[in-house]
Amino acid sequence: MSSSNIIKILVALVIGAALGLAYGWVLAPVEYTDVPPNILREDYRVDYVLMVAEAYQGNFDNAAAARRLAILGSESPAAITASALEYANRNNFTEAEVQALKNLLTAMQTFQPQENPAP
Amino acid sequence: MSRLFRSVAFQVAIALLIGLGLGLLYSWRISPVTYVDANPAILRADFKDQYRIAIAASYASTQDLARAQSRLGLLGDPDPIAELSAQAQRMLAQGESFEAVQPLAQLATDLTQGFTSNPIAPTPFPTFSTPVAQFTPTLTDSTQDVAEATETTAPQPTLSFEQTALAPVNLETITPRPTSTPTAGPGAPFALVSQETICDPGQIRGLMQFMLQDSRRKEVPGVEIIVTWNAGEDRFFTGFKPELGDGYADFVMQENVVYNIRIVTGGSFVSNISAPACTDPNGAGYPGGLLLTFQQ
Repeated sequence: MSSSNIIKILVALVIGAALGLAYGWVLAPVEYTDVPPNILREDYRVDYVLMVAEAYQGNFDNAAAARRLAILGSESPAAITASALEYANRNNFTEAEVQALKNLLTAMQTFQPQENPAP
Repeated sequence: MSRLFRSVAFQVAIALLIGLGLGLLYSWRISPVTYVDANPAILRADFKDQYRIAIAASYASTQDLARAQSRLGLLGDPDPIAELSAQAQRMLAQGESFEAVQPLAQLATDLTQGFTSNPIAPTPFPTFSTPVAQFTPTLTDSTQDVAEATETTAPQPTLSFEQTALAPVNLETITPRPTSTPTAGPGAPFALVSQETICDPGQIRGLMQFMLQDSRRKEVPGVEIIVTWNAGEDRFFTGFKPELGDGYADFVMQENVVYNIRIVTGGSFVSNISAPACTDPNGAGYPGGLLLTFQQ
């Protein structure tokens, strides 16, 4: 086999691989349907935290609030709330929304989860 | 044939296909696209449930129906109201408390009605590990301001904190709720408008059926009903059997037991309900059923 033929085959291989990558990454990428909340886009994450903050305004149940925030990842509830508050300040959330997040942050900073009693 | 295999065009085509296969293997298996900015519609089902709970809990606090509706829309459910009702039913079946399920049922009801059923209740007292809350018997100035500003909350004993107290819920940001249903006021009481005896041997014996309708005779889901009798109490919501109607609920009565019924929304109360005596074609007696229709 001549060297020009080998080059043609290699070029075809590379073009095929490029087409495969383009198809698999761009045209028909893997579709995720059962994702966890920790990869939510930031605005959705913040809106979720805001919901928890608004619920907290109504019941002052800091254990429930901490439990709800826990699904957003391994960070502490206070850190998650602080991050959301920072986003809210950057993006001109209303005063009431910022206040709700501040209240939640205060509650999460002082929240001590109850430990299970020893058997 | 061997000439075909030896032809350059064939070998190039094979190389192209092999390259394509390797590219797909890499892009789908080895290094697929990773999601970092997902939207709530593709959350796993149990996380969607958590999301709905947060929406309902937030709504219970803010009574912002439009916002709750738009948040539910993010989940991409074909019928958000049905999803709320189904989730409430699942939670009850899993042994969750009525208090936990109530916000979901309330939101489903309000979305169906198109308006907020319950006004914002006075904020309960917070409980913190620190600072310590202390009750004082008289109003402070700050509470007076809040009471004057909102004119909706009755004066309550207030809290004093060792550090800055939480600000009360700011009612100014609540969006105007839809008022497209002027006939029935929010939370209007249900009244018993008909009570039919059903003697059908083919039906479950002693079946008490409820049908709750608003003033336009549209069935209302998510209404809590409490049935009490001398030995106990049962609670349930309308709309958990959507195949029988959004405003439908049922309860099986025992023979010779007197029941009292309370419709939680609006506080209606019906007493002395019992299974009627029916007779089958063979002349044997059995406890019949009742169809109770309530309307706002």
